[in-house]
Amino acid sequence: MKKFVLAFSLFTALALPAYAQARDVTFTTELQSYNGDGAYLALYLTDAAGEYQGTLWVSGKKSKYYKHLGGWARGSGLNPAEYDGLTGASVTSGRTLKITLNLDDSLIDNGYEVRVDSAVEDMRDIRADVVAPLTTDGSGKPVSGRGYVRSLTYDLQ
Amino acid sequence: MKTKPIVLSISLLLMSGTAMADDDCNDSVANWQPRENLREKLESEGWTVHRIKVDDGCYEVKGFDSNGVRAEASFAPASLMMMSWEREEADDDDQDPGKWSGKNGQDNARRQIPGNGIVKGRPTVTVE
Repeated sequence: MKKFVLAFSLFTALALPAYAQARDVTFTTELQSYNGDGAYLALYLTDAAGEYQGTLWVSGKKSKYYKHLGGWARGSGLNPAEYDGLTGASVTSGRTLKITLNLDDSLIDNGYEVRVDSAVEDMRDIRADVVAPLTTDGSGKPVSGRGYVRSLTYDLQ
Repeated sequence: MKTKPIVLSISLLLMSGTAMADDDCNDSVANWQPRENLREKLESEGWTVHRIKVDDGCYEVKGFDSNGVRAEASFAPASLMMMSWEREEADDDDQDPGKWSGKNGQDNARRQIPGNGIVKGRPTVTVE
């Protein structure tokens, strides 16, 4: 009996994830033109109440500056496990960052929001520079930022 | 139950946390030396100082160190003792955007598979 339970558990663990639907989502973050160093950005998901759910991407390599990405830093607890493999260089003024990620379908049309926190050295930190509900209707429609981000657009594929 | 390895692991974990926290400077503001003193000291040692700012209670210096290495270092503001030093990578944060974009604008992100559960597989990242 024990062997059966073990085999069934293994089968479930290996087979079930294959049934979970996921799709590629491209996030395009266009920065304003400003006078300053490269911007640190955190793209992350929250629920409708603004509670942190997970990290999508962090631009900026020096983790000691991550605390300036206030909303994300608070939600993630700056736990490296939350952003391992999801970091790259900071993004300079006027440039556009494009990230394509594979996300679970359950994250779309379920009240989740994409948020971007931004910070530039010696300049203001902008918490929730952009807030965009993650919905099928919102795909392809730019959402304006209020800080260093000119706009965020996501495209569901 | 073998408790020795567990106790050892926890001790090591706590010790590493303490070591990381030591990067901050805790000098009383009344004892701080002017940043010009630090600039003069470093330039006399062969540094080329580009900028000095305050970060986490330390003086943070960007420039080229006495060996000509582009570096970022922090110093205790009272004693001007070096607290940390790291090589400043040419591909991060500063003025030359062409360098931190790789071939065809492909970002040189770390390439391990993310482990936070929300993102599946490796992201594709470009900067245009």
